[in-house]
Amino acid sequence: MSKYSTTRTQRINDLKKLAKEPFLLISIIVIFYLLILFVIYPIFQVVKMSFFYDGKLSLKNYADVLKQSYYIRPLFNSIILGVLVATIATFIGFVFAYGVTRTPMKAKGLFRLIATFPIVSPPFVVALACILLFGRAGIFSGVLGNIYGLKGLTIVEVVAYAPMAFLTLIGVLQAIDPALEEAAMDCGASRIKVFTTILLPLATPGIVSAWLLVFIQSLADFGNPMILSGDFTVLSVQAYLQITGMFDLARGSTLAILLLIPTVVAFYLQKHILAKKSYVTVTGKPTSATIKNLEWYIKYPVYALCIFFAIVVIAFYGMVVWGSFQTIWGVDSTLTLKNYTTMWRVGKNYILDSLYLSAIVTPITGILSMFIAYLISRKQFFGKNAMEFSSMLTFAVPGTVVGIGYILAFNTPSFLMPVTLTGTSVIIMALLIFRRIPVGIRNGIAALEQIDPSIEEASIDLGADSSMTFRKITLPMITPAFFAGLVNCFVKSMTSISAIIFVVSGRWNFITVAILGFVDNSRYAQAAAMSLLLIAIVLIAMGVIKLITDRLGKGMQTILIE
Amino acid sequence: MKKAYLELKNLTKIFGNGADQVIAVDNIDLQVNEGDLVTLLGPSGCGKTTTLRMIAGFHTPSSGDVLIDGANVNTMPPNKRPTAMVFQNYALFPHMTVFENISYGLRIRKEPTDVIKEKVDTIMGLIGLEGLGDRQPRQLSGGQQQRVSLARALVMEPKVLLFDEPLSNLDAKLRVSTRLEIRKLQQRVGITSVYVTHDQEEAMTLSDYVVIMDQGLIQQIGTPSEIYSHPANRFVAGFIGKANFLTVNVEKVTKEELTLSYAGKTITAPVWDERVVKGDEALLVVRPESIILSEVKEDLVRGVVTNSVYFGSQMLYEVELEDSTTLQIELADPQDHVIFDHGQQVGLTFKSRSLHVLPMES
Repeated sequence: MSKYSTTRTQRINDLKKLAKEPFLLISIIVIFYLLILFVIYPIFQVVKMSFFYDGKLSLKNYADVLKQSYYIRPLFNSIILGVLVATIATFIGFVFAYGVTRTPMKAKGLFRLIATFPIVSPPFVVALACILLFGRAGIFSGVLGNIYGLKGLTIVEVVAYAPMAFLTLIGVLQAIDPALEEAAMDCGASRIKVFTTILLPLATPGIVSAWLLVFIQSLADFGNPMILSGDFTVLSVQAYLQITGMFDLARGSTLAILLLIPTVVAFYLQKHILAKKSYVTVTGKPTSATIKNLEWYIKYPVYALCIFFAIVVIAFYGMVVWGSFQTIWGVDSTLTLKNYTTMWRVGKNYILDSLYLSAIVTPITGILSMFIAYLISRKQFFGKNAMEFSSMLTFAVPGTVVGIGYILAFNTPSFLMPVTLTGTSVIIMALLIFRRIPVGIRNGIAALEQIDPSIEEASIDLGADSSMTFRKITLPMITPAFFAGLVNCFVKSMTSISAIIFVVSGRWNFITVAILGFVDNSRYAQAAAMSLLLIAIVLIAMGVIKLITDRLGKGMQTILIE
Repeated sequence: MKKAYLELKNLTKIFGNGADQVIAVDNIDLQVNEGDLVTLLGPSGCGKTTTLRMIAGFHTPSSGDVLIDGANVNTMPPNKRPTAMVFQNYALFPHMTVFENISYGLRIRKEPTDVIKEKVDTIMGLIGLEGLGDRQPRQLSGGQQQRVSLARALVMEPKVLLFDEPLSNLDAKLRVSTRLEIRKLQQRVGITSVYVTHDQEEAMTLSDYVVIMDQGLIQQIGTPSEIYSHPANRFVAGFIGKANFLTVNVEKVTKEELTLSYAGKTITAPVWDERVVKGDEALLVVRPESIILSEVKEDLVRGVVTNSVYFGSQMLYEVELEDSTTLQIELADPQDHVIFDHGQQVGLTFKSRSLHVLPMES
């Protein structure tokens, strides 16, 4: 944020100014301590661990990567899967976005709604649905052959992540002025030429961006491969199994680092290279007019794909609903509510723990991220860039890496944290908070930067002091971003699995872990029932928060979910 | 010598269906001669842009025909039509240089590289874009972007050049100079053009003919001076320039002159509309500059000054007549006149030759 060079005297002045505001100084120190403890230190522990072999500093773990298949195979598999999923999902997302923005398709709202299903549900519900449909006892058992492996995983992750590509690309296509396509056509270009010479080149940065986002998601995905990978080993699951099954922390950490590297590279490409290449709209007000009388050979394939994908999504989710009322999936299809009662009996503590922890964590995350956003965008202090970087770090790091880092960092007391946190609720809450603040901070900074400083100046000019201005002007204006942050935090906390699974304990557990347990024991009907309960909780929470914001009259229209 | 080069016959466009349907363009006929520039002028929603887009091929007519050089182009998609459009927001391709933008259509046509280069260079010289070929659109000023957009259309050597409010994104000063350039260029190249605008000054200064539209209908087609001095109906009279309307009685009709009475006083006006006949009520259209104010005299219509605004080059008065009608009156060169005060009784002289009489229900 701060682009000007801070000279020595300026820094000293900054420090002097801070010294006059003890509250600010103390809070900056506390935030730095928390960021180091819960963000930097765990990741550092994973890196460190990967350089130890038999308790000695060594490169052996990395040397093994080159010759041993338990390293190279999952790395190779994860990347293959990521590339496949990213390519197919981006293609589907693009066709969907094209259909919604560039064709006279009917029921666009419905398609949009369907496309967002997989975003509010826990990531592995799709894998569960896939088993219910195509698994050994499934309705279409055998239609797709063996679904445990690359094939099944690709299908499931495409369904889970195509919506993300769609949401990215719809923004991209909406930003491209249809007048450009008309102008090209007017110059004599055929529909296909318009597509290849205008729309595609203009959308390319967005398409690459969507591809990388899905690639990152697929690499980091834990729930789906845990259920469906079979013999097709992927990094996230292998890292988990090495640690919880084999108690081999070094090997698990090395796998985690292998997972981290492509993710960070993809993230870097997505953020920095593409940001420079994107074409900002040069022209004035966009026209809404589009050429809607498309040729049939463009229209119908687009419609067909959209309808097909919508049916797949509905079938997958419908199957979870249907499955939750079956007595024994694939054997006894008498409708029953038994699964719900069993699920509740077995999983009550898991459900209540997750609700309790998420409910505590959500407001803390909201306030903390807004406060950090405020510090970053409105205050000058030494180490500001470091604060911004470290608070955003967990956004790029896969959950598996974070989870392993938390085990390594908090299993034993250290100079940063004199007590063992493993097994407590604190470790879970810290994990949830620091996994979620990046999105909150980003939204907060965006909201704060949209507030023209002259608005605050106007308030001061009219006689309000700066604290009054903050309360009466700044705070109400960032409220929508704050509530959007709350929704995002709650939804993602309730549905997270990849990092959480490392820090749950007998005393504090989580609903997603319970669902995974049901699936592991082939109790699909109970898993389905609990997944639905989870989806219902998430939807109710979203509704309640939406109601509050509407009541506040802020008209929060877009709920940012990342 | 001139022949209709672009023809619209019974052209109609209906959007939506059932109860929501909107008739955007209602059965219009228009003929544009070769080399002429015709503007479609009207308030927003009058159907002018829809008409233009039907000529370009972006909208398919609900009924009626578009003919270019005698050929019906109804079923021809926009990319096959011999038209080229200058867009309101220029619609420059942001990922291409100026040269690539201008040469786009020629490249689509697969013309030889050297021909493309020559044509583009010629047009860039003509339009004042020399040396800007390698720039990106975002590096250009608004006026330059506008020229690139014009060059991109002109280089195609279209049979009909279409303008969709091309100057509305420019600032006021640039707008005036650019429209003069467009006019000169259009006349030099001699290209048949249709120009959509809502700015009457733009329409008056640019056009050979102005087509005034409202509610999907053509209200009047005429030269700029015709539509100003002889508006076909009340809408046109009120839309173009400022107009005062007075209800008068027609006392006498001769070949050249109408004798009208208003508030017991006699006003004479030229004959224009044959629907105005003796004994009827008629609508007298009086431009603010067609009234002279003086001291009260016996045979003059009387009024009271209710407001006056000084503009330097002219003085604007509001005068209330005995029947409470308020007239707007402009006097040029106020230094040369007696200044009238608020509340002062004045006599009004109507300049006979500048008056225009319409039938009551027009």
